[in-house]
Amino acid sequence: MKRLMLYSILIALLLCTAPKLFSAAKVGEAAPEFTATASDGKSYRLSDYRGKYVVLEWHNNGCPYVGKHYKSGNMQRLQKEWTGRGVAWFTILSSAPGQQGYVTASEENEYVRKMQAAPTAALLDPNGQVGHLYDAKTSPQMIVINPQGVVIYDGAIDDKPTTDLEDVPGATNYVSLALEQAMAGKQVATTTTRPYGCSVKYADATH
Amino acid sequence: MSDKLSPRGKLVKRNRLIDLGVAISREPIERLAPSKKETCRVGLPRQIGRNGRYGWCIQTEMLVRRAIFGFSPALALGFFLLMCPTCTRAESAVIPHGTLELVAENQWIAEGHDFNLGLHFQLENGWHIYWINPGDSGEPPRVKWELPAGVTAGALQWPTPRRLGTPSIVDFGYQDAVTLIVPMHAEGNLGLGEPAKIAAQVKVLVCREMCIPGSAQLSLALPVKTESPAPDARTRNLFMAARKSLPRPAPTNWKFNLDEEKSSFVLTANVGHEITQANFFPIAESQISNAAAQKLAPSAAGFRLMLQKSDQLLKPIERLKGVLALADGRAYLIDVPVSKTGAAKS
Repeated sequence: MKRLMLYSILIALLLCTAPKLFSAAKVGEAAPEFTATASDGKSYRLSDYRGKYVVLEWHNNGCPYVGKHYKSGNMQRLQKEWTGRGVAWFTILSSAPGQQGYVTASEENEYVRKMQAAPTAALLDPNGQVGHLYDAKTSPQMIVINPQGVVIYDGAIDDKPTTDLEDVPGATNYVSLALEQAMAGKQVATTTTRPYGCSVKYADATH
Repeated sequence: MSDKLSPRGKLVKRNRLIDLGVAISREPIERLAPSKKETCRVGLPRQIGRNGRYGWCIQTEMLVRRAIFGFSPALALGFFLLMCPTCTRAESAVIPHGTLELVAENQWIAEGHDFNLGLHFQLENGWHIYWINPGDSGEPPRVKWELPAGVTAGALQWPTPRRLGTPSIVDFGYQDAVTLIVPMHAEGNLGLGEPAKIAAQVKVLVCREMCIPGSAQLSLALPVKTESPAPDARTRNLFMAARKSLPRPAPTNWKFNLDEEKSSFVLTANVGHEITQANFFPIAESQISNAAAQKLAPSAAGFRLMLQKSDQLLKPIERLKGVLALADGRAYLIDVPVSKTGAAKS
């Protein structure tokens, strides 16, 4: 009986610490593997993109910081430019059902069509699994992964943490900078920044 | 009020009501699904709902915006200048889910004297704005001043914030009401003829589970005199409360030490008595993890506080500056250098 209790305590401890053992993505370390279903109905696995650069973009269509980059056309421009240069670009929607930014597959397809967005796929992550795996805190948080599957950038989309559309043209875009530098065989100068924006609306977002 | 698409006449009527300062009826918007509410408020046409409900609220919002930001400030200012030339409380401006007011501590500006203005935010239940370091998301309010020659504005003074958010995403900010004091300086040659017109454009992000950017144009006309300034009774309580909520310099006999370990900083305080409640708010972003629990170990002479480093902290820091909040709302500004021996250990 005592032994059983001891085991159950040990198991409970293990379960409690498990998320910490598989800690969130860090720059310079391997990007955590995930498989997610996209709004196009297909399943996407990160490791299938080994050999390519991968961009992860956290998205919430009601967030004014996201709105800045879509209304200005900045995000679409980036998506087109980089997918055109062989990069896989995943828009990730980690809003829980009932939270701002939660959409069904068809709503997301409609949004992509209307906004003329051009990601490789929009991954639906309503239980926040991919979001927590990468410790995504905000939309639009951006992560860049190199062809070897290592995270080379994690943070803000650019250096202007505002909702003002007029701040887009003069901003230094960290995602483009990281991709340019890495593709040119250079060291990525800025690898980590504070990811500005709206908090990701995980299931625990109500308070 | 019906939440169906109202005829245009009704909207205009509602718009006038708002213009006259009657509170915006939030009823129809609040009835929307949470995922639509903010979109509705910011009026993105791409989110118009199928049944026209959202369309109604978008239209209203656009009209409200025009009413508030288009001609209302001019009217309000005109009215104010006409009726009340020596008021130090202007009309409050509407921001998302709240109001914002520019207030003066004194009845007039005295030439050659420093004086204080205040930005007084009043927020609806559950909504918040941000501290100078917003934490994991959001951004602090920003002010652009338009000041008469000879008047200069100092940096905003930030009351002690509170932790907001969820276990995994923590922000620092204010709920309900907050006044940010702005120290101002007046030169000795302002000119006595006309009241000094002080205007401020404030951009502010107001959040609950969602965030709405707002902007307000504020103004105040204050007489200029040579006499010493007299306090304004109407704003006295606001300024008193604001000062009380500011962190104070730590007593000089309090000693702090900051040791650096691999993934955390350990703040040790020697204040001469045991402290059982302490929370540290870092002024700079990306130094310590906002969401990580701050483990407190009380000691006979004070405490030890474990502060987990931020994942975004890539370079060593020289000092850690921030607000130390203790029990009963007492808070102190501290600026502690990273101890050399501690740094060598890691």
